[in-house]
Amino acid sequence: MPVSLNYIVKRLFWSILVLIGVIVFSYLVIILSPGDPATKWAGNPRGVNATLAIEAARRELGLDKPLHIQVFEFLVKVFTGNLGTSIAYKQPVFTILYSNLAATLELLFCSYVIVLPIGIFLGVYSALHRDELIDDVLQTFGTVTANTPAFWLAAIVFLMLVSSGHPVYGRIDTRLALETGFQPMTGLYLLDSVLQGNMVVFVDVLIKLIPPALIVGVYPLGLSIRLSRTLMAESLTEDFVRAAVAWGVRKRRIIWKYAFRASIPPLVQVSGLAFAYSLIDAMVVEYAVFGREGLGRLLVDALNYSDFKLAIGLLIIVTVFYLVINTLADLIQALIDPRVRL
Amino acid sequence: MQGSSSDKLDISVAVRNVQKTLRSGTGIIALIIRTWRRSHRFKIGLLISLFIVIIGVLAPFLAPYPRDGLGYVPEDALLKIRLPPSQEHLFGTDTRGRDIFSRVVFGVRSALLQIFLVVSSSLLIGLFMGVLAAYYKGIVETVINYLIELFMSIPAIVIALALRLVLGSGLLTVVLALIITWWSWYGRVTYIYSRSIVEMDYVLLAKLSGVSGLKIILRHVVRNASPPVLVQAVTDLGSVLLEASAINFLGLGLPPDSPEWGVIMQEGIQYLSISPWISVFPGVFILVTALGFSLIGDSLREEVDPKLRRRWRLWF
Repeated sequence: MPVSLNYIVKRLFWSILVLIGVIVFSYLVIILSPGDPATKWAGNPRGVNATLAIEAARRELGLDKPLHIQVFEFLVKVFTGNLGTSIAYKQPVFTILYSNLAATLELLFCSYVIVLPIGIFLGVYSALHRDELIDDVLQTFGTVTANTPAFWLAAIVFLMLVSSGHPVYGRIDTRLALETGFQPMTGLYLLDSVLQGNMVVFVDVLIKLIPPALIVGVYPLGLSIRLSRTLMAESLTEDFVRAAVAWGVRKRRIIWKYAFRASIPPLVQVSGLAFAYSLIDAMVVEYAVFGREGLGRLLVDALNYSDFKLAIGLLIIVTVFYLVINTLADLIQALIDPRVRL
Repeated sequence: MQGSSSDKLDISVAVRNVQKTLRSGTGIIALIIRTWRRSHRFKIGLLISLFIVIIGVLAPFLAPYPRDGLGYVPEDALLKIRLPPSQEHLFGTDTRGRDIFSRVVFGVRSALLQIFLVVSSSLLIGLFMGVLAAYYKGIVETVINYLIELFMSIPAIVIALALRLVLGSGLLTVVLALIITWWSWYGRVTYIYSRSIVEMDYVLLAKLSGVSGLKIILRHVVRNASPPVLVQAVTDLGSVLLEASAINFLGLGLPPDSPEWGVIMQEGIQYLSISPWISVFPGVFILVTALGFSLIGDSLREEVDPKLRRRWRLWF
């Protein structure tokens, strides 16, 4: 095994340390910012029960205790999965987070599955046709797509869909789901509908998923076109390629089996990072433009209801997502690249 | 040392290349001139950016309705709500009857201001932290690396949400949220470069001759580590804009009615299918500006890093 247990334990420990740091940071933001923390934690309540709610929040935060004990108790609370009840949804924060995370993850996965192979293929193609017009065109395309604001593109695409008479809004047609007896199980509707053999809902969900998925995929598309060209340009000049040519190995085999293989590990690394960052694009696009449920909706609702618990829950879940994806990318890289030992 | 030896070698070669590139000529200006001669992308990028900056500087003269541009609602607003683009209103009018062209033109200023504040402060913090970690090793190194890792793992948008809830909306919220995450990238780049610089002989010699730590850091380490970080910063100018406008688009940053592209787009998004011009035009400006900066950054990086510039041929 190229990955030692020692490394995995160390990595896990480090990730938990980072997570603790994030939680402490978010707690300090509430406590140290101007204004009464209990009022903020209760979501700036007004009306008859306001004082009651603020008192409850004060107890929940443990504001009467010294700071280090407050922080410690808060950490325990978060790690036991008890962040209290969301003000916007009147449900435990973590329950809401889980159910919405699935929606966003579905979007992200779908987007990368479609876009990455295309981007990588175009990048390799571009490297093989260097100094030709197509190379310039592809690289310019890559630069432009990597700099396109996702929410703007989403607005344009949404508009085009509406004017062509095929508006796409929401995540699933509720009426259709009810009529066909669709039951959400994992929260990934594509998977659920396949498991239930419900093709009508599957098609409906897929049609609603693809436009936002393509838009979220615009950044990784540009990135992978440019990155895979650079990596291929590097590996195609290596001596082993020259040797393979001298041996008379078939061109396609040289390209994919030898040259491309050398560029897989950095591709995995960068795609992992990009994947973690695309979460933000997904959050911006999915709710604000396409009205899909997901973490983006929570973001907007947390703002509208001044729901601090939800905001902190989001902060934690997004960090966990980043840490998991990054660790996975490193591990995969170690597994496929014989030069890397962790 | 944490990195493997080959890793270190690579980096010190890269550092030397950067130094050589900068020394052959008179530094940054020579680099820019050389890139200008060599790269069409750089020319296009520089022209776009200059164009944008000029629009920003001349905003009050270019905008046909400067008061609209600053966010004031005109007196005859009720007659002008959501007019489509015409000769009087080049980009149409928004939901409160303001001229969008004027708002977009004034938006250049806030875009440039946000970019400048975020990149310059993150650069300062990142350079400082990175060099400190590399020079003083031990506990300082561990703590700073921990902080870098920590703030790298939180996306700016979620920090913006938390800050928006405690501080309210405003320029401070966007800029602070972006700085909190952005410095960590510069910190890491600086750290990686300076780690090999502090091992170099001239640093050791300076140490042996009793030069104070601060002086070594400023005179040798920062000076030699900053060029690649600066190039990175130029590449980032566009990404900062993209992220800042996304934050503003979600209503997490600048207050409504501000002349900012993300804010204007947000105001128009409910009316997207009825009056698309409100949201479409500001987005074009975001794209063009980000593209301009990114073209400059990419070609500069190509010029500084010979590995990217290398001519290569296919063997088949």
